[in-house]
Amino acid sequence: MSSLVGYLAYREQGIYPPSFLSRAETVKRAFSLGLSKYKDLEEVHRGGVTSLDIDPAEGRFLLSGSSSGEVVIHDLHNTTGSLKYTFKCVAHVKRPIGRGRQNVSTHAHSGSVETAQWYPLDTGMFLTSGMDSKLKIWDANALVPADSYEFDSSVYCHDMSPIATKHTLVACGIKGRIKLIDLRSGSASHTLQGHRKTVYTLKWSTREPYVLASGGADSRVLLWDIRSAKGSFMKLDQHNGASQSGNSEQTSTAHSGAVNGLCFTSDGLFLVTFGTDERLRLWNTSNGKNTMVNYGKINNENEKSVQVAISNSCDPTLVYVPEFADVAVYDMFSGERYHTLRGHYHQVTSCAIHPNTHDLYSGSLDRNILQWTADRDSVEEALYQHEHLGKDDGGEGKTVSRTSQVNADEWSSDEEELINVPLEQFL
Amino acid sequence: MSRKRSLLPDVYRHRKKVCLAPKNGTTLNVETSSSLWNQEPLENNVPNDTKATLLYLKNLFPVEKFEGRLPPIILKHQLYSILKNRTVVDKQLEDLRLSGEIRLFRLGGEMEEYCIVFTADYKSHVLKTTAEIAVHRGLINRFLTEIACGCPDVSVNKQTMINQYRYTDEEITQLVKASVLTVRDIGSWWVSIPDAGLFMKSFTRGRKAVLMMITKSKYKETLQNDLETRKLPKVAKLGMAYHIHDIIGADLVECISTSSGPLLRKSAC
Repeated sequence: MSSLVGYLAYREQGIYPPSFLSRAETVKRAFSLGLSKYKDLEEVHRGGVTSLDIDPAEGRFLLSGSSSGEVVIHDLHNTTGSLKYTFKCVAHVKRPIGRGRQNVSTHAHSGSVETAQWYPLDTGMFLTSGMDSKLKIWDANALVPADSYEFDSSVYCHDMSPIATKHTLVACGIKGRIKLIDLRSGSASHTLQGHRKTVYTLKWSTREPYVLASGGADSRVLLWDIRSAKGSFMKLDQHNGASQSGNSEQTSTAHSGAVNGLCFTSDGLFLVTFGTDERLRLWNTSNGKNTMVNYGKINNENEKSVQVAISNSCDPTLVYVPEFADVAVYDMFSGERYHTLRGHYHQVTSCAIHPNTHDLYSGSLDRNILQWTADRDSVEEALYQHEHLGKDDGGEGKTVSRTSQVNADEWSSDEEELINVPLEQFL
Repeated sequence: MSRKRSLLPDVYRHRKKVCLAPKNGTTLNVETSSSLWNQEPLENNVPNDTKATLLYLKNLFPVEKFEGRLPPIILKHQLYSILKNRTVVDKQLEDLRLSGEIRLFRLGGEMEEYCIVFTADYKSHVLKTTAEIAVHRGLINRFLTEIACGCPDVSVNKQTMINQYRYTDEEITQLVKASVLTVRDIGSWWVSIPDAGLFMKSFTRGRKAVLMMITKSKYKETLQNDLETRKLPKVAKLGMAYHIHDIIGADLVECISTSSGPLLRKSAC
């Protein structure tokens, strides 16, 4: 039964469990993504968008960092009821660029912001880090940094664990190592050594609160348990140990080029890595083996990190990979390419999926953030057209009117009308 | 737009299961369900998708143009141009390789890809070429049974050769001279096809010629039907169809379906 009404009926009767309906709708929506015709985001960025994050608490605010050092927050809720809507920018940390000097923040990053992330528990705080070697912890309401840390080289990425309850560590990837900053004590807790060159991308595991995965320019992906003092506990090898070269050091790395993007699935069982060797690889996190899923060649010339997104609660799990100016949609376990989302004009740097509406937001170096949604046609359009472009359905136009007047009711007529009616009619 | 519906997986959209009647008339009931693993029916010896494609591609290889000096060589990425799900292709190839039916080789030079030769073809080819040169027959036979058929790896190293198979240095030198082994590193060798250079020359010339045909056209794209009617230069003996599969599978061109047939457009990278 493929229709929504059918699923609803079956759920009502108890024939299908409720999860069937939610799964079916999620899949249908995930497969029908496209650019929204009526909604877009207010264009505020003055530099390419480098990082996107949707707040995990409510899914209401979209935080974006740009290469001009600015941080922008958009409100994704549409409370006006109208179909055509531009998501407003509710906060903007500006940097003095050119002549404009109004509302400039002295706290803004002096270099490009590489990663911007919400505090995982609420929207009162967010963290940004960038090429000016600083990690700043911002108060979201006052737009003032509550704290700031300086490192000795540019910070390419940082991440905070979404599930950790026992620690509040922020991992920052800099040249050659990873530093862990503890938010509670306000100081650096320790350093993870293991990468030989810059660490481009970092992610905490979504299953284990103490496990961290990192990938860098030395083509390796290392998994760390931060509680152990020794070093990485697992190194991912693309050949699963089978390459029999004379100098085996060389090819037993996760990728044959720098590792650009890392993403754990929502259940934390698999890890997707993306490298400049134009390959996407899927790893089983429990034993570190390459699952050998073949996605083909995906163009990746970006030297800095790109954010890859994985759909949650979708049955053929989809992975959204930026491929220069397009976003490619792949089936995570079979490697088939389902779709290409075209809309940007320049390199797409980040993809973020909204957890509730399953919309995809993509930010690119062309300064735009685009929303790819499944709510693009028929029902919403029909309602919109009916309301605004003419109520021409004869006698009773008594369908849902969103802007109803408080004083009007449907049976009594206005004073003036009574007076104007000629007397003859009542005879 | 109906394109949206075609992307949905089959579970959520009831597709009628298609019953294909194959052209040779035998009544095989093949279901096109969306199952990931292609299971062979137990009663027939029907080749699975990958094997069938390999046989088709083997037929495309013009053995007569090389006067029998080369076995039919298939490139691994040519399979990707025909079968869409690469992971399944990889898995089935792995099964075929471990069972000993096919053998993978790594062709050096600018090509970093694997090429596939059926083990039977490889064997007969090696016997034919080594008959002409002064290498001990018994050694070749031993090599064929032990390494070519016994060991499915692409390369062998010194440890395996000396310890496991008990070849002496002298014998290894002889094998290298017979060009069944090619030096890879100190202490490791690729298993190779004798006279592979002939194939490489033809192949690189042909690939370059086909790509040039596409690049020279106005928008860097041509219809596949149009390309098939054009002639390749004499040096490219492999034939247009072989090269078309090669460039599609290697992702050098994108294959876009249009109303006038498939269109090949040079891809950006």
